[in-house]
Amino acid sequence: MISRFRFCGDLDCPDWVLAEMSTLARMSSVKMKLLCVQVIKDLLDEGIDYDKVSKLTSDAKFESGDIKASIAVLSFILSSAAKHDVDSDSLSSELQQLGLPKEHTTGLCKSYEDKHSALQEKLREISLRLGRLEAVNWRVDYTLSSSELKQVNEPTVQLKLQAQDPETDSTQTTVVSITADKFRVLLTELKQAQTMMNALQ
Amino acid sequence: MIFIVIFCLSVVGESGRIAVQFLKKGSNPKIYEGAAQPSLKSCRLMLSDVVGKLNVWSGSVQHGLEGLMYLLTESCKLTISEEDFQDSVLVLGFSEELTELLLQLYLENRKEIRQILSKPAPSLPHYHSLEWRLDVQLSSRPLRHQLKPTVTLKLHLEDGARRSAHVLQTDPATLQHLIDELERALAELKSSHCRRILRNIK
Repeated sequence: MISRFRFCGDLDCPDWVLAEMSTLARMSSVKMKLLCVQVIKDLLDEGIDYDKVSKLTSDAKFESGDIKASIAVLSFILSSAAKHDVDSDSLSSELQQLGLPKEHTTGLCKSYEDKHSALQEKLREISLRLGRLEAVNWRVDYTLSSSELKQVNEPTVQLKLQAQDPETDSTQTTVVSITADKFRVLLTELKQAQTMMNALQ
Repeated sequence: MIFIVIFCLSVVGESGRIAVQFLKKGSNPKIYEGAAQPSLKSCRLMLSDVVGKLNVWSGSVQHGLEGLMYLLTESCKLTISEEDFQDSVLVLGFSEELTELLLQLYLENRKEIRQILSKPAPSLPHYHSLEWRLDVQLSSRPLRHQLKPTVTLKLHLEDGARRSAHVLQTDPATLQHLIDELERALAELKSSHCRRILRNIK
């Protein structure tokens, strides 16, 4: 038996996952597929319906510990397979090697295949990002006069940047005012960066 | 909530039995189920209820509760067996029924109390989770055509109820060094010196 599994990132399968295969096998394959649908909804932040889950697991007489374990193991399998970009056939053969019955495996892999790209999109979204820029607001002012000089006649840009603080995840607001020349420099540099980004995509 | 039941018995004796029946049957079962750790507010409400019904000075109720808590925490701390618990309580001179009630209370809640006692206030923040990201810097304002890989880490720590996050950045070589050092630390557990000490503790 191969001990390295692609869906575990070419590592050994964790012991607890192996242990919960028998728990999953206690459900009927139809009910397990429906449970997969709920788990995927949870992974995609669409909300898991716990009432449905308890109805699905009531036939197999799952206690609360069993319900938690089955949700945990399905979450792990589906998110780990999406993480390592495993195709549905490989996942199917690896799960069967771990002892999950064929009908259950087929149901799980079908759910996985349907939502494969949605799962990966979600995982991409929650990947670590520091100081996410949330909003940009701007305003152009024209200064007519000031206490230092009677005729100023200068345009300025006011930029309000709302970004996430990297360590506390709270929104921080920064306001900067930029003169026309400085702003031209800023714009040129940013456009160069943008060209580079477009070249990569 | 059973604290109050028992306290009534001890302070008031026979007449307290009526209060016991009322509290056991009449009171809302939700208070027992819903609150695994009864909220302070519901405790106070029940307390004032009891005080009102039995005409007992609220100060003595307070003392009674504290005495009960001390009894239970000390017994749980030392994991006293049933017989020892019964013997110790008998010395206090309570009735048979009360001793039985106290014993039941002790046995039912022993595990939970031990769990609560086993968590002293943490002095150091401990590991909660780690997020990471691998990036490659391709160009910057002063220099184009670079290839600089960096690993960005966000270490989440927990200190009691407080969560904190620390952002760190490193190049792959330093990361490898970090991994080697940590593996060396783990390997220490397997050294004969460590094993000898662990054996003696167990």
